[in-house]
Amino acid sequence: MTRSATKTVGFLFTGVALMVAPFILGAYHSYLLGLAFINIILALGLNLLTGNSGQISLCHSSFMAIGSYTFMLLSNLFGWPAPLAVVAAVVLSSLGGFMVGYPARRLSGIYLALATLAFLALTQVIIEEFPDLTGGIRGLKLEPMNWMGLPFETKYLIYFSLLASTAFSIYIALQIMDNRLGRAFDAIRTSPQAAQALGIPVASIKLTAFVISAAYAGLAGAMLSMVVGFIDPVEFGVSAALRHITFIVIGGMGSVAGSIAGAVALTGLPEALRPVKEYSDLVYAALLLLSLLFMPNGLVGLVTIFRQGK
Amino acid sequence: MTGSVLLQLLISSLSVGSIYAIVALALVIPFKASGILNFGQGEIVTVGAYTALVLVGFGVSYWLVLPLTVLVGWLAGMAIERSLIRPIMAAPEFTIVIATFAIGLILKSAIRLYWQDNPFALETPLNTEPLHFAGVVLNPLYLWVVFCTLVLIAFLAYFFKHNRLGKSMRAVSQSHDASRLMGIGVERVLMISWGMSAAIGALGGILLAPIVGINPEMGHLVLKALVAAVIGGFSSLPGAFVGGILLGLVETYSGAFFGSTLKNIIPFVLLVIFLLIRPYGLFGKPPVVRI
Repeated sequence: MTRSATKTVGFLFTGVALMVAPFILGAYHSYLLGLAFINIILALGLNLLTGNSGQISLCHSSFMAIGSYTFMLLSNLFGWPAPLAVVAAVVLSSLGGFMVGYPARRLSGIYLALATLAFLALTQVIIEEFPDLTGGIRGLKLEPMNWMGLPFETKYLIYFSLLASTAFSIYIALQIMDNRLGRAFDAIRTSPQAAQALGIPVASIKLTAFVISAAYAGLAGAMLSMVVGFIDPVEFGVSAALRHITFIVIGGMGSVAGSIAGAVALTGLPEALRPVKEYSDLVYAALLLLSLLFMPNGLVGLVTIFRQGK
Repeated sequence: MTGSVLLQLLISSLSVGSIYAIVALALVIPFKASGILNFGQGEIVTVGAYTALVLVGFGVSYWLVLPLTVLVGWLAGMAIERSLIRPIMAAPEFTIVIATFAIGLILKSAIRLYWQDNPFALETPLNTEPLHFAGVVLNPLYLWVVFCTLVLIAFLAYFFKHNRLGKSMRAVSQSHDASRLMGIGVERVLMISWGMSAAIGALGGILLAPIVGINPEMGHLVLKALVAAVIGGFSSLPGAFVGGILLGLVETYSGAFFGSTLKNIIPFVLLVIFLLIRPYGLFGKPPVVRI
């Protein structure tokens, strides 16, 4: 079988498996699958920003928080239909991305890391200081959602909206990377000065990267509220931001396949670590550090090396 | 609002600011030498506090614990530089930022594994009754923090001005290549600068411990120290001190007059404003970028 035929068969198989998965898997495993999808969406967005356009963000968990809270508040307080609430969550988190990205156009390196860290800290403070709206550190619980009377069980509705969102996110990421915008991202990462000299509007491309990336994180956040049914503000702190970065570092920077591989591998990791649960933070950080030191191109890089070796 | 209240606030902001200043100094020293900002510095503070806890647990006197903790911090800093930082010195900035974060997270989760989330108190000979002076309540712990900071500043001022090693550190911060040509062992100086920074961080930990209690999240303080370092300018040691004190003043007074929400928000708003308007801070020099 040629490589492209293998690929097609692989895609078909994965597609069918994902379509029937919710009917076969038990509650816990479909929950894990749901988390894997959410992490994929998040990693795709973060990878476009960091892996492709070369900007550090330590506040993707904040964009995720914006998406989560927007979805949950619109759904709980105003009974908005779930899909509409998701759209609103994406719009608001992109706005958050604009708020960070606009001032960040002139920053890079550690200064950008600091600015995004400040945004993260601010978001944390705001969540804690306005408990009437956000539930404070106790978090928020999702009331039954409004699915506009669709005649299906809620868990299937959630699963298939998640599957559709993930497929859509992958498609968009691939499109961006194949396009003028993706090439501009690469140019900016490699050398902002050269990109500028070539007539690429560096500042506005950087801003675009932030907005797109935040939209992805907002989608992931809304989906997280939907799947978990609860918001725990601890999930949006610095260690969560680092966990998200771990996805793309371990998977492979600047690659859609890398985002998917990293997110899936690290969603499965807590499952593998269940006997030694209290070590999970340590293992995460150690994996991150080791792959930075020894595997700078991530899992995808390993595959490339393996192929070239043959 | 009477004068004595204002004075009281001034004293508490000086002591808070001193802690910020110490940790900010610990950030700036290796940054000047190696160009690397250690985002894991907060966890060095935590390590210092827990080291002190362990030593006090063995029945060692506080006055002996203090230098021993600083020594442990020094060795830990050198070990981190030698084993983890040196291999990635030439890596992209992203790698370095995330690696230092990861080092911090590893330290924090290792501490949490052993001690859990229980808070501990550190007994010191200074946990005594507050002193009353001219209508102002003086906590000896706070005075001790301010005193230690001043001693540290004096030591650093002397060290960088007159000591051979201090001068070679300044040289290294200007140009690695030129220093190497002048016969300075750049790698050795970098390792020592990380050791110094960790030693100062550990000192911050032992000073902070009796005030806030020892817990794995102590390192959160590094956020405030980063703000202080940005205000002062990353490339300036006096700047880090002034930035810390300024941040302490702003935080304490805004908290007293406008409540805790503003107190918690204002450092980060300040950080963003500085990054936008003067990213090199009050005392720093704008970096020259060669293409």
